[in-house]
Amino acid sequence: MGFRNRKAGNGIKGNKGSKLNRQVRKGKKISWGYLFPSLAGVLLFFVLPFLVVIYYSLVDNPINREFVFLDNFVRVATNKAFQQAAFNTLKFSVVAVPLAVILSLLLAMMLDYKIPFRSQFRTAFLSPMMVPVASIILIWQVLFHYNGIVNDFIGLFGADKIDWLKSSHAQVVIVILFLWKNLGYNMILFMAALGSIPKDILEVAILESATPFQIFWHIKIRYLSSTILFVTIMSLINSFKVFREIYLLTGNYPYDTIYMMQHFMNNAFAQLDYQKLSAAAIMMSIVMVIIIGILFLTENYFGRDVEG
Amino acid sequence: MKKGMKDKMKREIAFLLAGVMMLGLTACGKGGSGNDSQAQKEFYYLPEYKELQMDVNYISNILPQGDVLFLIGFSWNEETEESTGKMYRYDLISDTCEEMILPLPENASVQNAVIDSEENLLMIVNRYEEIAGDTMTEDEDTEESYENVEYENYVELWQISGQDAAMISRTDIKSVFDDPDNSYVQNMTIDSKDTIYFSDGNSNIYLMDKNGNKLGKIETGTDWIDALFATKEGDVYLKTWGETGQEIKQVRPDSKSIGEAVKSDNIKGTGYNQNYYTGLEKGVLISDSNGVFAYDFENDTREYFFDWLDADLNSDDVEIMGAMSDGRFFVILHEYTEDKTEYSLVLLKKTPASEVPEKEEIVFGAMWLDQDMRKNIIDFNKSSNEYHISVKTYDTDDYNAGLTQFNNDITSGNGPDIIDISNLDYKQYASKGVFEDLNSYMERDNIKKEDYLENVFEAYEVEGRLYAVIPQFYINTTVAKTSKVGDATGWTLSEMLDFVESSEAENVFRYGSRDSIFYYCIYNNIDEFIDWETGECSFNSDDFIRVLTFAAKFPEEPDYNDTGEGISSLLRSDKLLLMQTSLSSVQEYQMYNGLFGEKVSYIGFPNSERKGNLIQPAGGSVALNAKSKHKDGAWEFIKVLISDEYQQSLVKEHGGWGFPIKKSALDKQFEIDMTPDYYEDENGEKVEQPKTSWGYDDFDMDIYAATQEEVDAVKKIIDSAEICAGLVNEELTNIITEETAPFFKGQKTAKETADIIQNRIQIYVKENS
Repeated sequence: MGFRNRKAGNGIKGNKGSKLNRQVRKGKKISWGYLFPSLAGVLLFFVLPFLVVIYYSLVDNPINREFVFLDNFVRVATNKAFQQAAFNTLKFSVVAVPLAVILSLLLAMMLDYKIPFRSQFRTAFLSPMMVPVASIILIWQVLFHYNGIVNDFIGLFGADKIDWLKSSHAQVVIVILFLWKNLGYNMILFMAALGSIPKDILEVAILESATPFQIFWHIKIRYLSSTILFVTIMSLINSFKVFREIYLLTGNYPYDTIYMMQHFMNNAFAQLDYQKLSAAAIMMSIVMVIIIGILFLTENYFGRDVEG
Repeated sequence: MKKGMKDKMKREIAFLLAGVMMLGLTACGKGGSGNDSQAQKEFYYLPEYKELQMDVNYISNILPQGDVLFLIGFSWNEETEESTGKMYRYDLISDTCEEMILPLPENASVQNAVIDSEENLLMIVNRYEEIAGDTMTEDEDTEESYENVEYENYVELWQISGQDAAMISRTDIKSVFDDPDNSYVQNMTIDSKDTIYFSDGNSNIYLMDKNGNKLGKIETGTDWIDALFATKEGDVYLKTWGETGQEIKQVRPDSKSIGEAVKSDNIKGTGYNQNYYTGLEKGVLISDSNGVFAYDFENDTREYFFDWLDADLNSDDVEIMGAMSDGRFFVILHEYTEDKTEYSLVLLKKTPASEVPEKEEIVFGAMWLDQDMRKNIIDFNKSSNEYHISVKTYDTDDYNAGLTQFNNDITSGNGPDIIDISNLDYKQYASKGVFEDLNSYMERDNIKKEDYLENVFEAYEVEGRLYAVIPQFYINTTVAKTSKVGDATGWTLSEMLDFVESSEAENVFRYGSRDSIFYYCIYNNIDEFIDWETGECSFNSDDFIRVLTFAAKFPEEPDYNDTGEGISSLLRSDKLLLMQTSLSSVQEYQMYNGLFGEKVSYIGFPNSERKGNLIQPAGGSVALNAKSKHKDGAWEFIKVLISDEYQQSLVKEHGGWGFPIKKSALDKQFEIDMTPDYYEDENGEKVEQPKTSWGYDDFDMDIYAATQEEVDAVKKIIDSAEICAGLVNEELTNIITEETAPFFKGQKTAKETADIIQNRIQIYVKENS
């Protein structure tokens, strides 16, 4: 009986259900239709090129196109220029990214207090974002050229000239350039995140006599964890993009301490060594995926109790 | 219901928009990539060769007027030793030629000529008349006797009937010129109102009516007028060179001024050497090294007609051309051979591609096309029933842009079938498998390497694979007195520096500069500083630092305003020790011995293995694309360049511009070089006469038949050359140029500079090892 009833009920629902199914199917079709242009774009401009890169990484060169399996990866990994580029890039990221995160967080916290000229400071830190790269390069050349302002300045104190961009000091200059360019943007992100921390929790903490450090460490950092992750990832990506400035400052073959991964890849492209470029790009993307994965795990661990 | 319809409409519009978007994406690859010449490949202009039935030794002017050509020339009568001016009226449609005698005496020459609207010739004639002086006798055939004769020069405008060559009028126009004693006419044209325009050497344009009355003068303000031409509409334009390159400007007779440069890409050709002819229906017809197109000034439109190579014609030989009323084009070719020059007429008829015999299309690619190679391609196209070669050049204003395009073609598998490697880093391409190994092709066709100069082949081999072939070559070298450098055919950088450091810098090279020193010591000897196998370089070595210090003694730019003392005098008196030059013939070898005043050594560029005499291709160097779909056809062309027939054609009576690579042809050349030329004196006795003469700065020398010793010396120099002159890597030159600048300004020491160069180049070497 119950079975029959259920069956009968199903029968009634069945009519409605099939109509619903038709609508769902129709809706799905429409969704796919709407999705198609962007999906095609992603396939055409992201997935396909990535597959092409994988293909090039497995052939001997773009002209001969003989399958060589992982030979290119071995050759690239053992190439001294690649090793130097990887080491320099890693060193730069390890130094510049934490600095970019910590300094911008400190700046954001400083500007979070009602200090005088707060808005002027904010504008000043944001202004490098508005300066075109070519102008930045010009400014940096004027500053750090062998006959530049910095050398003129230190000359006033009797110091010898330093070839800032063509000596071991070059990486310091690039780190300063990177920070100068990125601090403002990171700072704004942190300021927004700080502003969104619930005030009642902060007030309760103050009432409970929590120290400023306890408030910072146990409340603010917890609430800022997702922003810290985002800023770290963005800074990491930007640290790879610093090649643009280095390239404009010093060309294809800079002083060895500022020879980055993108130099290696750019030069490989110019010499039609697409296989080297592709193998290097794949290795770099694998490392990036691992680093970002670790960052996500870290963020999950620290920020798990404040996310909802 | 209404809402449903609305939703449906929205959905349809959305799909439509998405579709349009995708269409836009897919259409990206097509539009705009074709060029004029490709668009015209539905048609070809086939040549029909006509004989120019003219009894003249020299043609001075060719004037087209519609379908009629007026040719002015001179014939020389050996017996009477008199020259006769002739005018030919050639009707291109009826193919009839009428000869008329011009009333042009021997003491007159035509500077320039145009045809007016009544088909009469307007010629600016220079004429001289003896007014005083000694009478010349037979034994007074010396320069001094001429100096005693005085002449009066006349510049006249002659109006000659185009129907019967009769003189209509003759007017003295010397007064038209600002400086009557300097009445040189550089360019000349005529507008629709029969106003004559002509320019002098100072870029002034004079306006004159056909009766010789001056109508005005226009100061153009330019340094050089390259051409003056009239459009079909009757306007006159000039071509000059401005800040942006070639500029076409209208000449305005009413306001006596020059207009602004025509700002249109449509008037720009793709090749060099543009010439302008009045258009048939509109505007002007423009011919350049690549092809022919019409430009309409009023509507700023162009119509491309044909590529010269598709018509099997060599643009270097085109003297004049024009459009005919029946759609054909006429072309007068002027070919220079070793002994004489020849004129020929070609009529080009537009023919649908379907009616043109089908041939396998082979593409010849070059950064720019060598003149000899152009001729070889045309000859091949004319003789082959199976293959047709078309040319693709990558000669954009920016070398790197052209190179990028070439690289894209190669990597996408659309590279040219035959590649001229003259201006490419061929070893880089060879290492990537771009080129076919030609050894197997030579073996297949039983072409024996031992019949050729094997060292030349080996210079183009990489790991035993032959990647390129050159038909002829010369030797890039450095010459010094044997008494100074010994009998060697090479020296190391240290040896070279030891030699030059013991003398004053200004005595080492004439017009030496820092750059030239780097080219001499470093760029042509780059492998001395780089070990590609270990990936190490040594730009901080003592030798490199010595080169830096040595280069600093030279000016940044060559000083061409030196004392003016001739090179031979400088070399003989040891005020100049080395001479960078080339050796392309035995005659040149003989000349250098004379220039230095004693025996010389071809010591070459510094090289760690003392192999500094470099093989430089003369007439292109070709490789076969490994991905070509027409390898057999491409090889057929390459084979022609090393064929016995072609190699023998490179043998020249008076020494060529390079040595052929086939031993039999080279031996033949040496044999000719050693065979004396004779003339019979008044007693009927054979007297040896010079085979040729060479002039170099302050030095002139008659070259007689070479001795066996001289030929052996040339052979030794050729045998010593094992390396081909290659392109210097731009990255390396850029780094060195950039880093040496502070050193030359005294801001850094040589050691500091060398260390930075070492640091930067080391990365390049690491990348590529």
